[in-house]
Amino acid sequence: MFDFQKIRKITPVLWEIPRSFRDDMRVPARFYSHEAMLHEVGADRALEQLVNVATLPGIQGWALAMPDMHEGYGFPIGGVAAFDRQEGIISPGGIGYDINCGVRLLRTGFAKEEIKDFLRDVGRTIFSHVPSGVGRGGKLSLRRGQDFDAVLLLGARRMLELGYGIEEDLAHIESGGKLEGAQPALVSEHAKYRGRDQLGTMGAGNHFVEVGYVETIFDAAAAQDLHLAQGQVTVLIHTGSRGLGHQVATDYIRLMNRVMENYGIHLPDRELACVPFSSKEGQEYFAAMQAAANFAWANRQLVTCEVREAFQRVFGQETPELSVVYDVAHNIAKVEEYEIKGVRKEVIVHRKGATRAFPGQPVLIPGSMGTASYVLLGQEASLVQSFGSSCHGAGRRMSRTRARRQTSAALLREDLSAQGIVINSGSKRGLAEEAPFAYKDIDDVVDVIHEAGIAKKVARLRPLAVIKG
Amino acid sequence: MPYSFLEHTADVRMRVTGDSPEGLFRDALFGMVSLMSPETKKEGEKIRRKIALDAPDRTALLIDFLNEALVWMHTESEAYTEVRFHTLGERKLEAELEGERVAGFGEDIKAATYHEAEVGKDPTGT
Repeated sequence: MFDFQKIRKITPVLWEIPRSFRDDMRVPARFYSHEAMLHEVGADRALEQLVNVATLPGIQGWALAMPDMHEGYGFPIGGVAAFDRQEGIISPGGIGYDINCGVRLLRTGFAKEEIKDFLRDVGRTIFSHVPSGVGRGGKLSLRRGQDFDAVLLLGARRMLELGYGIEEDLAHIESGGKLEGAQPALVSEHAKYRGRDQLGTMGAGNHFVEVGYVETIFDAAAAQDLHLAQGQVTVLIHTGSRGLGHQVATDYIRLMNRVMENYGIHLPDRELACVPFSSKEGQEYFAAMQAAANFAWANRQLVTCEVREAFQRVFGQETPELSVVYDVAHNIAKVEEYEIKGVRKEVIVHRKGATRAFPGQPVLIPGSMGTASYVLLGQEASLVQSFGSSCHGAGRRMSRTRARRQTSAALLREDLSAQGIVINSGSKRGLAEEAPFAYKDIDDVVDVIHEAGIAKKVARLRPLAVIKG
Repeated sequence: MPYSFLEHTADVRMRVTGDSPEGLFRDALFGMVSLMSPETKKEGEKIRRKIALDAPDRTALLIDFLNEALVWMHTESEAYTEVRFHTLGERKLEAELEGERVAGFGEDIKAATYHEAEVGKDPTGT
């Protein structure tokens, strides 16, 4: 348990671990939480990991953790850190293995009442259209060379070129679904081989497609701007760059462990492996990471088309098009500009299990399986407080092993079924691991973000059918 | 059991013991394979895979070895049941893995990480 004696309360939802907490801290560490949630925040080693992040060269302002934080590997999940573009570092561990893991929200033309009798069919059809689990490939197999490189260079745009999607989709994706600095040549053959048949696939773990509906509107005007209405059926897609992204992270963490001593970098945990952002290795990783991010956006674009096909299969060819509300990354690094101590500065912002929350931008926060998810809107305060970042989900509070000990797939299906939620899952073990009680309360987590002024609540979604690997 | 799995909020920690570097590396590999829950085909195709690596130290060598095996598990659906080390030093490894091609895996592992990884001798010298 973390020693809370030395932390300082900044506001009712913001806490600070001062630099004096440990000699090697370069900046204080700050985290978002209600007082009542502190026992969960301190239950694992997330705060210790946050303090480690505060020791990294070139870090600016504070090392930050969102209210969904939990122990990760090296950096905590739910972590945000900004490093000076000239003097600071870039660290693959601060972005995560699933580069550009993210969430996309679609809205449909259906009301909840119109599809309630078709939910089993919808769940089954999406499950068969969107490959999931480990080792199940997608319908689009990429050849090495130009085919592959076009996806890594163009992201979601490449899917449109291949006939998967409409122009309107790209207008509602963070960065338009394409980062400009991608260099396919810097993505290893191993990584490309892992990703060759994984476009349009969900994967395993906590990834899912969820059909839900708008249960509550908190901000009518903002909801109207996003074309969301009470009772409207929605689809959430949660997946990322699959094996390709995992391998890019593995390759560059390995490389950085070998070379960081050349830059005089010594770390409390080698999973924090990093190099100066301006170094050759730093620039190469950044370019490979952007290629992997583009792959993830192509993946969510193709999954979108598979979900559209599934809806057409169930409801007929005349089914109104499912439109993209927004698509956000929650494992990524980006160069952004902020005012820090009165000076405008370019920084490389690392978000590991954290969502960009620029003013006016939709912020999508999926809850745990069977619970609510939220649509928020980024606020000005995010630029001042949190390097334009918000939380990314409910946040795990219990290990997968403990979750499996406390429930079974059969019990969980029964519970969810009693709530009227249809489940399609390939793995019984994986289903039990994602039990709702293994996560923090999404309502509490989102309330912290709302109260902090980082993003405001627009709508709460409730699940109707969950499709998992 | 030469390997065991420890609590972690979101991931899996593995502890492995062995009375030699070869035993340690072998059981770490088998622990990882077991975690992936291979779905064996009725008559799995036998496979052999050569791995050659160097790393800054023995801990990094172990993690890199697991990650290299993981690539082939993911891309070729291979599950390993035996390993022979031709070279296994502090910083260099040459090995041949044996196993079979499987139908798939029940669990996913994104990567073996360096997080809190350490190869060391216990007080009894093993």
